[in-house]
Amino acid sequence: MAFNGLKKAVTLSPSVRTLPSGVPAAPLLNLAARAPADPHAHASGAGPRSDVPPRWTGGVSRTSSGLVSKTFTTLSPTTPSSVRFMHTTPAVKDAPEVPDFSHYRANDNDNNRALSYFMVGTMGLVSASAAKSTVTEFLKSMSASADVLALAKVELELASIPEGKNVVIKWRGKPVFIRHRTQAEIDEARDVKWQSLRDPESDDARVKKPEWLIMLGVCTHLGCVPIGESGDYGGWFCPCHGSHYDISGRVRKGPAPLNLEIPAYEFNEAEGKVIIG
Amino acid sequence: MSISTTLYNTVFRRNSVFVTTVFAGAFAFGIGFDTAVTTFYDRWNRGKQWKDIRHKYAESEE
Amino acid sequence: MLRRWGAGALNRTAPLPLFRPKNVLRLPRALAVRNASTASSSNAFESFLNSRVTLVSVSLFTAGSVAWYTHLYGSLPFLPQVHASLDSDEGLHPPAYPWSHMGLFDTFDHASIRRGYQVYREVCAACHSLDRIAWRNLVGVSHNVDEVKAMAEEVEYQDGPNDEGEMFTRTGKLADYMPPPYANEEAARAGNAGALPPDLSLIVKARHGGADYVFSLLTGYVDPPAGVEVREGMNYNPFFPGGAIGMARVLFDGLVEFEDGTPATTSQMAKDVVTFLHWAAEPEHDERKKNGIKAVILFSVLTLASLYVKRFKWTPIKNRKIFYDPPADKTH
Repeated sequence: MAFNGLKKAVTLSPSVRTLPSGVPAAPLLNLAARAPADPHAHASGAGPRSDVPPRWTGGVSRTSSGLVSKTFTTLSPTTPSSVRFMHTTPAVKDAPEVPDFSHYRANDNDNNRALSYFMVGTMGLVSASAAKSTVTEFLKSMSASADVLALAKVELELASIPEGKNVVIKWRGKPVFIRHRTQAEIDEARDVKWQSLRDPESDDARVKKPEWLIMLGVCTHLGCVPIGESGDYGGWFCPCHGSHYDISGRVRKGPAPLNLEIPAYEFNEAEGKVIIG
Repeated sequence: MSISTTLYNTVFRRNSVFVTTVFAGAFAFGIGFDTAVTTFYDRWNRGKQWKDIRHKYAESEE
Repeated sequence: MLRRWGAGALNRTAPLPLFRPKNVLRLPRALAVRNASTASSSNAFESFLNSRVTLVSVSLFTAGSVAWYTHLYGSLPFLPQVHASLDSDEGLHPPAYPWSHMGLFDTFDHASIRRGYQVYREVCAACHSLDRIAWRNLVGVSHNVDEVKAMAEEVEYQDGPNDEGEMFTRTGKLADYMPPPYANEEAARAGNAGALPPDLSLIVKARHGGADYVFSLLTGYVDPPAGVEVREGMNYNPFFPGGAIGMARVLFDGLVEFEDGTPATTSQMAKDVVTFLHWAAEPEHDERKKNGIKAVILFSVLTLASLYVKRFKWTPIKNRKIFYDPPADKTH
C-alpha cells in the first residue's frame, strides 16, 4: 500500500500560495483540466492512471513552434516530495523482491503427489470409519435397552405341567399359552386337512415338539384372550367375537383371519425347561 | 519405478478406484483398529478383567 | 510492522537500505538523528523493559506465583479470609490412593470387584440398598450366569398381579434388582436412629473425593480428639463433614472370609468394596476407557490429516500472485 501511495502521491510544494478558500493559487496550474478518461476503470469518470503523469502536471505537447515541454508543478511526479522523518513504512522498492522459495519446493514431484493423495485418502478413510461407528452406535442406542432385554426371556419348567393341561404365563406383557398335548390331541391336530383351512398351516410347522404347543394367547381378530379347552374344535374360543381355534391353535371358525401366533422359543433339554423369547 | 509412482498408478489415478479403496479400507481399518486396540487393552490389563479370571470360578462351579 | 518489533528490531535492521541513497544524500541529518536515537547504549535496558518477552514472562511469573500460593495455602495471598465454619466441618481431605483402575488405560480389577461384592453382601447390605444394580449386571463382571442365578433365587420378590389380581412372591430372576434392606425410607430411618443409610449405587460419584473419600471414611474411624464431643449414638470420623457420623465402624480384620484366600484385613475389605462400589457407579468404566483410547487416536489422526489437507488446498490460493495486464490504450 505504501509502495503505491508513494508512487502516486503528488504533494504540492508548500511554496504554492493558497487562497483563503483553501484552493492553491498557482497561476499556471489549470485546476479545471480533466484527467484523461481511464478505459479500464469501473466508474466512468475515474482518476488518472498511476503509470502516466497526469496532464495537468505538464508534459510534452506539439505546438506550431515545435515540441514544447512544460512543467506546471515543481515536483517530479514519481518521486516522494518530502523525506519522512518518522519511518513507518517499508522501503520503497523499484521492483518487488521475490523471496527464494526453492527451499519449500518438493524434491520429488511423484512422491509429493502420492503423499498428497495419500493424506487425502487417509483422511477420508478415517472419517468414514469414524462416521460408520457413530451411526452404528447411534442406531444401537435405539434398540431395546438391557433391562428390557433382560425381561424379554421367560423360562418355564416343563415338568410342572401335567399332560392335557394348559398353562398361561406372561411374556412381554402378553399371555402365552403352553399346552401339554395328549397323544389323542396330537393325532387330532395332525389328521385335519390343513390345506383347506383359512390360514393353511400344518401342525408340524407350528410345534417343535408335538406334545408341547406354545403360542401367543392373543386372538388375531381384535386382540382378546381366547379361553382354553372350549369352542367347537376342542381348542380355544375367543369370547369377544366368537372365533374358534383348534387344538393346534389354527382358526377354524369366526372372524379371526390368522392362526394364533407362535413366539420364538427353545427347549433346554438338560434342565427340562422352555425358554420363550 | 518408485513405490509412490506405483501407488499413484494403481490406486490414485482413477477416482473410482480411489474412492472404492477408501471405503474398503475404512471397513478393514475399522476391524483392524478395533482388534489392535482391544489387544493392547487386554495386554495392558492382563489378569484384571473378568475374562482373565473367570476360569477360576467357572471350574469350581461345575 | 516495524514499530511492533520494538527498538531492538530497528537496530538489527539498520544496515538494510531503508531509504534510497538519494534521500540519504539529500538529508543526512534526518538519518543521523534516527541513528543517534537507536544506537545509544542506554537503550539496551530500555528495549529490555519494553520488549514483549519481558512483559509476557513477568506476567506469567506473577500469575504463576499467585497460582502456586493459592494451591499451597488454599487462599489468595494478601487477601485474608474469614470463615464462619471450622475447617473440620468440611471433613479431612482424603489422600489420593493408587487405585488399580486409576490410569488412563486401566480397567477395574475384577477379582477385587468380586471380593467387594462379597463384602457388600455380607456387611454393607445390612443397612445400605443398591437400587440401581440388577443381578444381571454382575454377570460377566464378577460372577458367572449360574452363580448369579443361584444368588438371585435365594431372594424372594413380590410380583403380580396374577390372574386373580393378587400379588404373589416368587424367587428372584436375573432381571431383578438388588433387594433393599428396608422396605422404605421411613423404615430405614427408624432402624438407624433417624439417619438414612444412603443408597450405594452411585455413592462414589456422589461424594467429593469419590473412591478416595469412601475408602478413607471406611478406614478412618478414630477416637475423638480431646475437646471434641460426639453425641450418644454417633461416631467420630475426621473424614466425614462435621466429624460425627451415624454409621459405626463396620470393617474389622477377618470379618469376612474371601474365597480366593486374600487376607481380609480392614483396608483390604475397604479397598475391595470401594472398587465394587466404583464399578456400581460406573459400570461402563472399562468400555468407556477403551472407547476413549480409540477416539483419541482416531481424532488425532484426523486432526493431523485435515491440517495437512487444509494447507495443501490453501497453498496455491495463499501464494498466488495476481497480475493485471492492462489492454493497450488507444484513446490517448
